[in-house]
Amino acid sequence: MSPILEIVGYTLEYRTHGGTRRVLDDVALAIGAGEVLGLVGESGSGKSSLAWAITRHLPRNAREVAGSLRLDGADLRAMTAREIRSVRGRRIGMVFQDPASALNPTLTLGRQVTEVLELHRGLSPADARAAAIEALNHVGLHAPEALLARYPHEVSGGEKQRVVIAAAFASRPELIIFDEPTTALDVITGARILELFARLRAETKVAALYISHDLALVSRVADHVAVIHRGRIVEQDSGIDVFRAPREEYTQRLVAAVPRPERRLVDDAPRADILLAAEDIGVTYGRPRLFGRRQVAGNSGVSLQIHAGEILGVIGESGSGKSTLARALTGLVDFSGSVRDGTRRITKPKQMDRAYRDRVQIVFQHPDSSLNPRQRVHEILARPLRIARRQVSEIPRLLEQVRLPTAYASRYPHELSGGEKQRVAIARAFASRPALVICDEITAALDVSVQHAIMELLLELRRAQGTSYLFITHDLNLVRQIAHRLAVMRRGALVDLLPVEALSAHADPAALHPYTRELIAATPTPVG
Amino acid sequence: MIDLARRLLRTPQGLVGSALILLLAITCVLGPALAPLDPEAIDFLGRYAPPGSAHLLGADQLGRDVLSRLLVGARDTLPLALAATLLGTMSGALLGTLSAYLSGRWDEAIMRTIDAVMAVPGLLLALLVVATLGAGELNAALAIAIAFAPGMARITRSVALAARRMDYVNAAIARGEGGGWIVFREMLPNVAAPVVIETTIRVAFAVMLFATLSFLGLGAQPPASDWGLMIAEARPYLHQAPWVTIAPGAAIALTAIGFNLLGDGLRDAMNPRDER
Repeated sequence: MSPILEIVGYTLEYRTHGGTRRVLDDVALAIGAGEVLGLVGESGSGKSSLAWAITRHLPRNAREVAGSLRLDGADLRAMTAREIRSVRGRRIGMVFQDPASALNPTLTLGRQVTEVLELHRGLSPADARAAAIEALNHVGLHAPEALLARYPHEVSGGEKQRVVIAAAFASRPELIIFDEPTTALDVITGARILELFARLRAETKVAALYISHDLALVSRVADHVAVIHRGRIVEQDSGIDVFRAPREEYTQRLVAAVPRPERRLVDDAPRADILLAAEDIGVTYGRPRLFGRRQVAGNSGVSLQIHAGEILGVIGESGSGKSTLARALTGLVDFSGSVRDGTRRITKPKQMDRAYRDRVQIVFQHPDSSLNPRQRVHEILARPLRIARRQVSEIPRLLEQVRLPTAYASRYPHELSGGEKQRVAIARAFASRPALVICDEITAALDVSVQHAIMELLLELRRAQGTSYLFITHDLNLVRQIAHRLAVMRRGALVDLLPVEALSAHADPAALHPYTRELIAATPTPVG
Repeated sequence: MIDLARRLLRTPQGLVGSALILLLAITCVLGPALAPLDPEAIDFLGRYAPPGSAHLLGADQLGRDVLSRLLVGARDTLPLALAATLLGTMSGALLGTLSAYLSGRWDEAIMRTIDAVMAVPGLLLALLVVATLGAGELNAALAIAIAFAPGMARITRSVALAARRMDYVNAAIARGEGGGWIVFREMLPNVAAPVVIETTIRVAFAVMLFATLSFLGLGAQPPASDWGLMIAEARPYLHQAPWVTIAPGAAIALTAIGFNLLGDGLRDAMNPRDER
């Protein structure tokens, strides 16, 4: 049986001002009918370029050096623009990472599904509407008739992704490309989308290319897994085998970096004294308007204590108020309630003085936006040192502390990689020798292997300086490796605050809040 | 900075714009030395002399050499227009960034005041200022600056609002920086690109506005050879000696084109994403 998609010796280059850069090198892949191929790679590995190459949507500076792309025997590279248009959407469907940007915000959801049906299956508007209702029903959306009339901003992220998937499946394509379809979604929503994916796959027998950076996830959904590293396929095998017995050194490193809850990285216990306590913290967003007030609660009644030397994990979905808590504790938003710092009670951001700010520091999620692009590393680090009344000559030591070459002081942030930028941000937070560092999803934007290195760095700094962490994340597996206690947040409120041991398999599940149980169930446990 | 200049000169608009502005700068510095004749020497018999070997661009109603007046007049026109633009855009940019940083009631107060000022057309506002302060070159420059500031504040504020939400500003607040540092060192450098581009485009407007004020007799005073004033003085004789009006008009147009092209070039050069 001939494969649906066959890629042989495909090599792609981008021309830039600095010369040509090879992004795909001699790539060979084949997807048979009804088969799912997982393509795993870190950022910059060329996995998205391959997706664009298959859909013939390459940027203008791309140059295809060699190789062939065949869809059911037909050469995609030889097709004219008109022929390609009849392939896209009809024979190759595409599901993107972020459903919010994949859907047109000015068109109703119904229009975006019926358009596909009218264009690719030649249905009349009335038939297309009926088929769209059926398609939305099929992806598990309730009340599809009502949904057809809504706009993308009126439904949740998970519902949006379901609509995108419905549209992709509606034209009955031979191949669907999934480009990180769950990365932009919450853990629980993502798990539901994966269930849907498994069901649709079994029903339609469509061939799929599933692109992701998450090896653990791909090994569960795909029949075969190909690992791509710097444009080369380094390993290709059945899903479980790649994960359990990786052959190549790169894959072994990748597998080793995947966080596993049973492998603890911290073995000491926190001290008894309380470092910082949040008492009944409440935050509301939105300001009073001329007619009435429209306000959204960011936090309500959050109380927790952080002990000296403790790592307190804060977990919850996006919008659950995790970051709002971090912003309240660092005085970036006005809050009600109080923060107790030793014997002092702080009730508004203005009361957070030099001493408090020296003791409590924050590292943000996106190093791109947390480092000023117009300042060199030297200036980024010099300023907090000066504020903490310390010497600028300590910059080399700070950089060494985060394992960066001292020569990096003269670089701009854009000259650093994502992981290096985050190291600079960590060095900046540690400039005042803080007692507590709030880490707000600091590894969410990084690759697994880089995340692993950053975690090791944080723990090393903690060993040297005895720092406490308030570690905010959505990754339960990651936080279970390091945290002493876990705070579970939902809709701005704290639903659970418990020692991390309470989550282990042999603990009593009745002690957990139902939401916590749901969160545990939705988190994919690494196979093997 | 050198990198920026190289990228600027690679675009055709940037290259032509830079060349034109270099030419104007040379005229400003060396104008009097380059002038073939005394710009204020009156030659009664040579009145309305057409362009020719004696007067390359002709002579005006008093027999003064138009080319010489143009070359000397560059000094009166361009630096003042540039200074007025810089003053207006810089104060506008500062106000806009400050407004975005302060947010809340202060933002509301500053922006509504600016709205009120913007409701008055630019030229009318400039006229108002000059009428209050009295005619003269410096007052005209000040008037132009005041007329420019509100628009600039609006543009900068919209960019600064995006910068305000960036985590590097949050990080600065979290480590206890004061407002001054945050506005000047964290935010302003990051809103510079649109400000610089808008500034180059506004220089051309400033030359025009300055010419208009001089034309109305509220800017430069005779016998200065400000380009706008030259047009104003030559207007009654348009039919007898059109060259006296055309020459300074062309010079103003050339300046406007030069700065506009430079602005276009800078817009492309300051966008590193265009690299691909």
